[in-house]
Amino acid sequence: MVRAVSGVRPRVDRATLLAWTRDYGVYVGVAVIVLFNIVFTPNFLSLENFRVQAVQVAPVLIVALGMALVIATGGIDLSVGAVMALSASAIALYLGYGPVVAVLVALVAGAAAGAVNGLLVAFAGIQAIIATLALMIGGRGLALVLVPRLQGIRNEDLRALGSGSFLAVPYVVWIAAVLVAVVVFLVRRTVFGRGLVAIGGNRRAAELSGLPVRRTLLLVYVLCGVLAAVAGVLTTARLQASDPNSVGVLIELSAITAVVVGGTPLTGGRVRIAGTIAGAVLMQLLVATLIKHDLPPSWTQMAQAAVIIGAVYLARDRRRT
Amino acid sequence: MTGPVERGPAVLGARGVTRRFPGVLALDRVDFEVLPGEVHALVGENGAGKSTLIKLLTGVYRPDGGGLEYLGAPVRFAGPLRAQRAGIATIYQEVNLLPLLSVARNLFLGREPRRFGLIDFARMHREAREALSGYGVHVDVRRPLRELSMGARQMVALARAVGSDARVVIMDEPTSSLEPREVETLFEVIGTLRERGIGVVYVSHRLDELYRICDRVTVLRDGRVVHTGAMAELERLRLISLMLGRDVADVAGEGVTTFSGEHTEVSSEPVLEAADLAARHRLHGVSLRIRPGEVVGLGGLLGSGRTETAQAIAGALPLDSGRVSVLGVPVRRRSTAAAIAAGIGMLTEDRKHEGIVPGSSVRENIALAALPRLSRFGLVSERRVDRVVRVFMERLRIKAVGPEQKVEELSGGNQQKVLLARWLALEPRVLLLDEPTRGIDVGAKAEVQRLVDELAAEGLGVLLISSDLEELVEGADRVLVLKDGAVVGELSGGEVTERALMAVIAGEPVTAAGERAGDGAPAVRGGEEVR
Amino acid sequence: MNDTPEYAHPSPRSRPRLLTVAAACTLVLLATACARGEEPAGGGDGGGDTEGQAQVLDEAAAGDQTCAIDQYGGQGYDLSDVKVGFSQSEAESNPFRITETESIKAEAQERGVELITSNAQSDFSRQITDVQDLISQGAEVLIIAPLNSDGWKPVLDETRERGIPIITVDRAINGTACEDFVTFIGSDFAEQGRRAADKTIEALDGEGEVAILLGTAGNNVTTQRTEGFKERIGAEAPGIEIVFEQSGDFTREGGQSVTEQLVQSDPGIDAIYAQNDEMGIGAVTALEGAGKGPGDVAIVTVDGTRGAVEYIIDGWIHAVIESNPRFGPLAFEAAEAFGSGEEVGTNLIITDREYDASNAEAEVGDAY
Repeated sequence: MVRAVSGVRPRVDRATLLAWTRDYGVYVGVAVIVLFNIVFTPNFLSLENFRVQAVQVAPVLIVALGMALVIATGGIDLSVGAVMALSASAIALYLGYGPVVAVLVALVAGAAAGAVNGLLVAFAGIQAIIATLALMIGGRGLALVLVPRLQGIRNEDLRALGSGSFLAVPYVVWIAAVLVAVVVFLVRRTVFGRGLVAIGGNRRAAELSGLPVRRTLLLVYVLCGVLAAVAGVLTTARLQASDPNSVGVLIELSAITAVVVGGTPLTGGRVRIAGTIAGAVLMQLLVATLIKHDLPPSWTQMAQAAVIIGAVYLARDRRRT
Repeated sequence: MTGPVERGPAVLGARGVTRRFPGVLALDRVDFEVLPGEVHALVGENGAGKSTLIKLLTGVYRPDGGGLEYLGAPVRFAGPLRAQRAGIATIYQEVNLLPLLSVARNLFLGREPRRFGLIDFARMHREAREALSGYGVHVDVRRPLRELSMGARQMVALARAVGSDARVVIMDEPTSSLEPREVETLFEVIGTLRERGIGVVYVSHRLDELYRICDRVTVLRDGRVVHTGAMAELERLRLISLMLGRDVADVAGEGVTTFSGEHTEVSSEPVLEAADLAARHRLHGVSLRIRPGEVVGLGGLLGSGRTETAQAIAGALPLDSGRVSVLGVPVRRRSTAAAIAAGIGMLTEDRKHEGIVPGSSVRENIALAALPRLSRFGLVSERRVDRVVRVFMERLRIKAVGPEQKVEELSGGNQQKVLLARWLALEPRVLLLDEPTRGIDVGAKAEVQRLVDELAAEGLGVLLISSDLEELVEGADRVLVLKDGAVVGELSGGEVTERALMAVIAGEPVTAAGERAGDGAPAVRGGEEVR
Repeated sequence: MNDTPEYAHPSPRSRPRLLTVAAACTLVLLATACARGEEPAGGGDGGGDTEGQAQVLDEAAAGDQTCAIDQYGGQGYDLSDVKVGFSQSEAESNPFRITETESIKAEAQERGVELITSNAQSDFSRQITDVQDLISQGAEVLIIAPLNSDGWKPVLDETRERGIPIITVDRAINGTACEDFVTFIGSDFAEQGRRAADKTIEALDGEGEVAILLGTAGNNVTTQRTEGFKERIGAEAPGIEIVFEQSGDFTREGGQSVTEQLVQSDPGIDAIYAQNDEMGIGAVTALEGAGKGPGDVAIVTVDGTRGAVEYIIDGWIHAVIESNPRFGPLAFEAAEAFGSGEEVGTNLIITDREYDASNAEAEVGDAY
């Protein structure tokens, strides 16, 4: 809302400042880090650099989109990394039928994993963090049983998906952009999107308003699973290998961070897709900057921790009533 | 009945205690005392200060002013544990025990009999059996607690809390989840407590119980003590009027609500018909019908089943049995969505927890329930949403910066109007209004009441639930009175007066019209005549 | 205040539970039912010990100290009569661990020795209980691939009391040789680093910028392979500058994304020293993506997996220093000798080979 600044004393109170930082701080952060790099990092302002950063951020961003929807309902999905591993192993197992079948199987596996989460959360009433923790552990275990060691991918089409470009923009980035558009459309324009935000805001009120609460929740988790599977496919294509042991490890934390840093509260009831994109980009640039300046890896972790603490600090206590 | 003075000094007392919460004076110089060997009823409607007082007595809160006396000396309890150790036992509605441990372990948790440093199971089990048999519970004490019925668990909790050294036992709605037989056992136990000289504070809304077992009563209203005295000397009607704050003598006068009076364009076909609604412990066969253009009031004390009745009709309460139909068409599936599709809207009593979606805008909140109607193929039509939102913001005079303002930033009255708009946007046939004017300012209250009139005039069927007798009397064409989850009386037309209402609530014979509502409504449950 | 009770879900519970099970089954079925992976590119798999693959002891690197059964305590045994327990530290999901376990199993089978195995899945406390379980299952000789060097006291107390000989492979256990354990068989990781440095110096002619892709931070393999490398570069090639050290966590993905960042901001990099093959292969993928050709950047890696050796043939990788995981023959040889009363060296360092353009094609079959 626009605040009318009245005459003599333009005192911006603390709460307003905090709220502003929560909503827009992430963009300031991105701007600051970009400026820093322009000045101090060699070759930063090159097309190639944007390509590298965009390609690297795409999987995290795609996972974060699904995560943003889940978090908007007041839930969380810890299993996204494991779903990526499942998707990677499905690719390795089914590539014999050709890339299209393999990718479809990977996406169906993601949907099935999401359905397990969704049913546990929406119908069995298990807390999201517990329900998805089960699949976080079990899913990767299953993926490793299926594909115990890294398998190289030689299929040219799939490798092209990971490294090729269209109009000088990598396929991976195109796919991420399309998915962003789809999710924005879902959130803004559909009953489903409006409903999931309302469920996060006040589940009981949503139920009493006749919204199909459980069906919506189920669908949200399925969507999150499918998006994670897409990320798994892209990572596999880019790596030119299916590696269930390491693909998507700790990506749930990166995704949650991107969502929270982007201004979506963990309590749900709100979703900010643009902020989530900026959050993912911010974390990516942070890591890139530290690598490019060859700072010790422990610094990267500390810098990430600092950003998360800042975001959580800003997001805290927004439900004061 | 022996007078209080002869019993000797109070075992536990509050002297002029005051307790504030931000914006509320929850207790205002309250005096309260429990004598040894008496059962003292503590009654009052919602927000009267009962739970605050109990929390003060049990060391959960500390008073802002005044103080406590225990066993004749002033005390300050550092916390609930201290109060408990000192001998003040509390039994809550929800039993706080460990369902997976054995009955005996639960009973002796933290004070197990020991032998050579180990738990002496033989002795523990023997003592547990003996202790529980005194409470009418005869079970294998080695079995896990969860295998016991709710009533038996309550007894275990009671036995545990009372132990051997309790001087005061506070019971907060102890019978709310008990079967009638279990209630009898509880009363026997209370009898033995009384004989042992233990003071009992008994909180309940069930008047029959109060009159049956309590020696004295203290009535709280708006944080003040409005009456203390012998239970038997207080007429039921008087008790009700004290609780509700309406003087029996001057209820006849003209009211100050903005209801216009009658809306009688009564056709024969009911718009809503609910029959035999039953849910364990909550509803015992409630039936009601509402005709188009009729405002039916639902009266009764807190916990009588008013909210549950509305929720049952709206598909928000799982039922054991019962039928709901709208314009003669039964609502088949028991879900809120089915009820809404049939044209039933329910304004909930708990605006904050069940009504508003706080972080969302006024616009989103108004459109929430109507979203399926305002969309095609799952896509929301922003144009139609805008139109609906504009219409209702104008009609209900919702004061907000604009439709995009967050609903949590609005005043209570405007939030309530937003919720009304949410239901009106559905173009319902029946509107269930649960405490529609509670906690909103006078101006908004008047507007809401006027709106109810208008809606009825437009042919809507309205169910009006209110603790405000005046609102019921002036707003409703007909009033059903509930008690213990059943309809105990119906007043209509000229019979609807505050005095008559209070009489029905009190369970006294109604002179004008005491007939029961609808078919299948059971008669008043047993125990009524015990005085 | 609150007289609104909690509501149970109105619909029956059994249906969602059934659905959950169904969805979970779909997952498993999908993954297994009619899987068909890519056809293998050719060439056999890496299992089986042939002459060229076996570990060879480095006599010079081994210490003088030896251990015999009367010093250690316990009784002599005939290896073919006893049960041998093998405790693996990490999941068999990378070539090193797979080959290591296979080698132990194959040797046991060859000798007709009864073998019981366990895998701690990178969980150290689990490895301790694993070993205790092996003992309680009757293992009389233990071969341990330790996850950590420290923290073995609970196990060592027990084995010392019962006189059970311990042979540790690939990583050492901190303790007194011939008291806490019989012998350590493994590579010299620092030496691997030094040899990688030699190869780098050779590739750059002693002049240029090199980047290091580190392994997992805090791991002693990472530390020693770094120390050895830096020591040799510092001593022999003042013209070579180490400009970049970042962790790729021993994974292909890590190696790839770090290298992408690196070549983008420093396109003139001359060499990359990857502390394992996986990161090296990731670096190859990154360089390929950045438009580099084979040989533009000299890559030296450690491990000796088949994938990496094949990249030598393609010209992408300059050299691979081997870290041989085939511990089976040496470990059982030591166990047999020890049981029959012979003296066994307490620090058996194996000679690791190396692959480069001169021998890659001929010896790729030896890679694992």
